[in-house]
Amino acid sequence: MRTHGRGFWGAAAAAVVLLPLIAGCGDGDDGDAGGAEGGGGTLTVYSGRNEELIQPLLDDFTEETGIGVDVRYGDSADLALLIEEEGGNTPADLFISQSPGAVGYLAEQGRLADIGEDVLGLVDEGDAAEDGTWVGLSGRVRTLVYNTDLVDPATLPDSVLDLTDEEYAGQVALAPTNGSFQDFVTVLRVELGEDEAQAWLDGMAAGNPPTFDGNMAIVEAVGRGEVPMGLVNHYYAARALAEDPGLPVANHFFPDGDYGSTLLVTAGAIIDGTDNADEAEQLLEFLLSEEAQTYFSEETFEYPLAAGVEPPEDIPDFEEVPKTRVDMSELGGGLAATTEMIDASGLTR
Amino acid sequence: MASPGRSSTGRPPALLAATGAAIGVAFAAPLLYLAWRTATGDEDLVDLYTSPATLEPLRNSLVLAVAAALSSAVAGTGLAWLTTRTDLPLRRLWATLAALPLVFPSFVGALALTAALSPGGLLEGPLGLVGAEPRRPEGFWGAWLVLTLFTTPYVLLPVSARMAALPASLEESARLLGRRPVAVFRTVVFPQVRGAVAAGSLLVFLYALSDFGVVVILRYDTLTRAIYTNRLLDRDRSVALGLLLAVLAVLVVAAERAAARRGLVEEGPRTRTGLQVPLGRWRWPALAAVVAWVVAGLGGPLASLSLWAWRGLTGKGSALARNRDGLAGLTEPALNTAGISLVTAVVAVAVLLPLAYLSVRYRARAGDLASGLVASGFALPGVVIALAVVFWTIQLPPSWGLYQSYVMLVFAYVVHLGAQSLRAAQVAVAAVPRRLDESARMLGAGRTRRFVTVDLPLMAPGLAAGGGLVLLSTMKELPITLLTAPIGFRTLTTRIWADIESAFLAEAALASLVLVAVSGVLTWVLVVRRADRLA
Repeated sequence: MRTHGRGFWGAAAAAVVLLPLIAGCGDGDDGDAGGAEGGGGTLTVYSGRNEELIQPLLDDFTEETGIGVDVRYGDSADLALLIEEEGGNTPADLFISQSPGAVGYLAEQGRLADIGEDVLGLVDEGDAAEDGTWVGLSGRVRTLVYNTDLVDPATLPDSVLDLTDEEYAGQVALAPTNGSFQDFVTVLRVELGEDEAQAWLDGMAAGNPPTFDGNMAIVEAVGRGEVPMGLVNHYYAARALAEDPGLPVANHFFPDGDYGSTLLVTAGAIIDGTDNADEAEQLLEFLLSEEAQTYFSEETFEYPLAAGVEPPEDIPDFEEVPKTRVDMSELGGGLAATTEMIDASGLTR
Repeated sequence: MASPGRSSTGRPPALLAATGAAIGVAFAAPLLYLAWRTATGDEDLVDLYTSPATLEPLRNSLVLAVAAALSSAVAGTGLAWLTTRTDLPLRRLWATLAALPLVFPSFVGALALTAALSPGGLLEGPLGLVGAEPRRPEGFWGAWLVLTLFTTPYVLLPVSARMAALPASLEESARLLGRRPVAVFRTVVFPQVRGAVAAGSLLVFLYALSDFGVVVILRYDTLTRAIYTNRLLDRDRSVALGLLLAVLAVLVVAAERAAARRGLVEEGPRTRTGLQVPLGRWRWPALAAVVAWVVAGLGGPLASLSLWAWRGLTGKGSALARNRDGLAGLTEPALNTAGISLVTAVVAVAVLLPLAYLSVRYRARAGDLASGLVASGFALPGVVIALAVVFWTIQLPPSWGLYQSYVMLVFAYVVHLGAQSLRAAQVAVAAVPRRLDESARMLGAGRTRRFVTVDLPLMAPGLAAGGGLVLLSTMKELPITLLTAPIGFRTLTTRIWADIESAFLAEAALASLVLVAVSGVLTWVLVVRRADRLA
């Protein structure tokens, strides 16, 4: 019995010894990420955009400029809260957000610095904040994903507003708590007015549609034939098809600037009070360069926003997409109004 | 001191009491943070706490938590008994497998299980065999089912540990007297494991309160869902709702402790006899039930994950196929995951043992309060814990180098997950017969010597079970890791999350399979095999 007791505490001691070892692992990694030393110091980036979708670009940036980049990856909203809690002591120099909501939140808190005109000027007006606190880096477009075995594309409507018709009742999966869906509803609310937007939500809810928590789950469900179609962001189907070309899913883009094809941007912002503002602007500039924008188009199937780079194949031309953006100044109070409308429709029940 | 019966509860030694107080304060960090934020925010608390928009999710949270606790208690106790005390075929294998659903991070577990159970999913065939229609789990029933499947190990592990330590003599006598296995279980075994069942169910209750992965994915409107969806939209409201949840947890646990104090039974000593109750003609039906459980809780998610991984490995254009490092890239996250979880488990067990002594051996009322505070850390979503720890740590001088260090990470993990080892430790301490301790004292053994030579060996299986729970749940922890770990520290769970977010299901699936494999090995080595050998 005593030996076993010792065995337990032996294992415990071994575990404690492991701590410095893994600490060592982590440090080694930092070294790699820091890359070339002595260039221009090191930037700390909090990124809501995933490692897979941006790290290769950051590595290139370090190689070209000698500026090291340390990245904390996380959920955009959580990282915004982290920056808020950290206050003036935040290690973060730059924030890359997957959704407009999170940068809007920090802008409202006064936690973002102004970005220089030369960087803001790289994108079209409307793809950057009016007050210059953030700049769009890439775009994603709303779309209707459908199962090609179950749905004849000829029967699909030209406008997202027609999805409330009888024939689509209960056929269209939605993600009512998802940020992109909320942003899309905000666009409806701002452009059509509350009444019409609410009527659309109520009309969708009347068919008792299947609801999911996110885009990925919808594309997955459409792929296995559980639901015929669903409203999502455009790149999910492209990525699912890259993994399994046999998957019976395709995107239906609502034509001619329909609200169903609204463009939503991902954004970059500089944290107020950073000591590395110049390097941070350099990185934003790099992310809007031809090299980076081509990467967004070819590797992550997104819309490039700058440097005249062509969008990926199989998605509508940039000109066809409505230029309606979620108005950032509307966020905060505005987004709350949107979620209240979604709740009122009963979709979140 | 109004100590009932023969138990000798004196005043706790000063050092122990001081340690207990310090631990209690550390665990109050999230509660104090929420209280401070609520006090400085401008939410009208009376309005908020009485509005239907709060009360309905609150009721839903409680209903779900109670339902999950009850069903897990039944399933976990049954599985524990079958896998430790009967001649069920391959019982040790089932004991390991049945503990594993705990390791699925709920955001991937719920997604995978949902995909398997839904129309067109992989379990459509097997479900058809028993005449059931595939249906996407949703709402209360969906959340209840998924939580039960994923949290039953909270009951299974401590109850197995307790059962493994039970003397065989009573059961043998009962059996010789001709009692059927079920009757033996009800009259002899259950009364002795009641404490462990209660401890495990309480953990399920708290976990169900804290979880938002499952309720968000299955769309059941609970308090955590309101905290989560409002965290940017209405920060003050989100924080005030968090405070409500934390206070609720403190109250429930303090009440449970007080009740446990009244009903505490001196539990019998442990023997080394491994007893196997012959199940007779129930042997095969019992096996079928255990297999069905493992298929649903572990097989369902694994089937979806394997399909996704396979799809990615064979699809030419997939991220997995063109990935730079493939499986090799998972080595570092796997080592990080195992390392940090082991450290956290050991620290949690060591830190919470003094508290267990205080509340069980010395029956200190302050121990009940401290237990409540520890529990509040477990009942809060990880994001809240992470932000609370950030809030306090960022105030320390930067020269200490604590901010976003491994020390801070392990501290945050222990604050969030320590409750799991506390409950197991309390059960373990309660199971040490005071007679033994007293005999040792009469023989002149000092306090430290008695602890090392008498208490510790007796408590080892219980402590290992508690540590095992912390270990498994640290492995799947996400928000705390993302927000407080040193930059560049990757675990399997952060990998899985990143892959799912970027819609690389195949890679997420592969990393999940590695996570399940690593935790399977650790559970086997550290918990199941140990408990079995000690029995």
